[in-house]
Amino acid sequence: MNCEKCQELIHDLIDGALSRSDELLLNTHLQECLDCENVRQDLSSILTYCQTHRGEYEAPANPQAMWLRIRNVVEAEHPAPQIARTRSFLNGFFGRSWELSFPQLAAFTAAVVLCVSLITVVGLRRWGTGPLETTRQFEASNVNDRVWQRQQVINYWNQRIELNKVRWSAEMRATFDRNLQVIDQAVSQSLNELNRNPHDEISEQMLNESLNDKLALLKEFSDL
Amino acid sequence: MREIGFWKSPTPMKLSYLILRPLARAGLYALPAVMVISCLVPVQCQAQQKMSKRYPAGKNVRISLKNISGTIVVESWKKDEIRLSATIESPNAHVVPKQVDENLVVDVMNDNRGRGDVGDVNFKLQVPVDSSVDLETRRGNIYVSNLRSGSVRAHVSSEGDIELSNINASQVVAQNTIGNIFFDGEFAGGGTYEFKSTKGDITIRIPGNSAFRLVAASPAKKIALGDFWNNGFRTQDGRKYVGDVGDGRSSVSVTNFSGQITFLRK
Repeated sequence: MNCEKCQELIHDLIDGALSRSDELLLNTHLQECLDCENVRQDLSSILTYCQTHRGEYEAPANPQAMWLRIRNVVEAEHPAPQIARTRSFLNGFFGRSWELSFPQLAAFTAAVVLCVSLITVVGLRRWGTGPLETTRQFEASNVNDRVWQRQQVINYWNQRIELNKVRWSAEMRATFDRNLQVIDQAVSQSLNELNRNPHDEISEQMLNESLNDKLALLKEFSDL
Repeated sequence: MREIGFWKSPTPMKLSYLILRPLARAGLYALPAVMVISCLVPVQCQAQQKMSKRYPAGKNVRISLKNISGTIVVESWKKDEIRLSATIESPNAHVVPKQVDENLVVDVMNDNRGRGDVGDVNFKLQVPVDSSVDLETRRGNIYVSNLRSGSVRAHVSSEGDIELSNINASQVVAQNTIGNIFFDGEFAGGGTYEFKSTKGDITIRIPGNSAFRLVAASPAKKIALGDFWNNGFRTQDGRKYVGDVGDGRSSVSVTNFSGQITFLRK
């Protein structure tokens, strides 16, 4: 037996309302546990006093004022009565033995289902498009980041090309510009498609290949 | 009403004045011009260089050719030697082929670094039938025919057609940006074949009993598999086809951004 259970049963022990076996168990615990024995003694003394002096005490002159004073003292000793009250409520709620009939249980389940459905519907209406949009934007920004990173490398080669371009023949310059334009068009089309559908595998493949082609073209022509 | 016109009463003096004298004057101006042009034409002819060299070769030779601009023609012959012919447009251009063991290397880019624009250099290579060729040019057409067993790589950085005829190589790569690609040959078991263009048509002509795994992609949805199509092909809204033809022994990848992909049966 533990202390909690023991202190619950002390009242019954003093009243003589315990079964023989419980009484035996409780006494065994009281012999081993000094705290519980002290509680039993205190309670026993109070009861004995009350029984001995029954009818001897006088009612206070102003019971209302006295009650208020007691209350003030108690409140001063417990600065967070709210927590205590909540705790006691929770203890009461969970400690209570919920014995529901089948219709009560059915009604309770139906109420829970209704509440959850309502919350879901309201949530979807309010934030329904949010996560999708966010994912889309995130993926689009991911693609743009990758393109931007590639673009930095491309810019470097572009600068080299611009330095060398003056040495090329007019025909070679025209060829280069024409081909670069074709690749840029492919990059742009792939990007547009990816903005529309960020999960489009083919557009992603084409975008990567087009960027690789562009880089290769720039590198190869920068040697000229 | 009396008509007054210049042609109504031409006199001999007026005729010579109107016709003969301008003709004579034109002749006088034209003669020097003709003389100048006739002098320039031989100079241009003299500027174009021609070279032809022969190199001994075994059965399995590898040729690496990197050109800047111009046409490259490669064909096989029965001799165990390589014949390299080149027409060089600019007198400034240098072409210095190097042979190391079984490899012949021609690098126009490297040979002419710092010389500025060297114009077109057109090559013709005659090689043993089992040769491997690695051909590159920044601009110009590439034609390869009658090769077997080795590998063929034809890369045009910008624009130029690629034509590979009667090729039975185990590895083929053909790539350009603008221009058509034509392959006529066979896919060897276990071989890999890659064809890629950004703007141009890709046509592949192979025997009907060819066995290969195909990955063909064209965002423009222009893929015609013809007799090689079967129900096993998976497609993504017509832009990409993946599947096996026969037992899929070789691997074929075809990518075309805006042109047509066509498979033909021989």
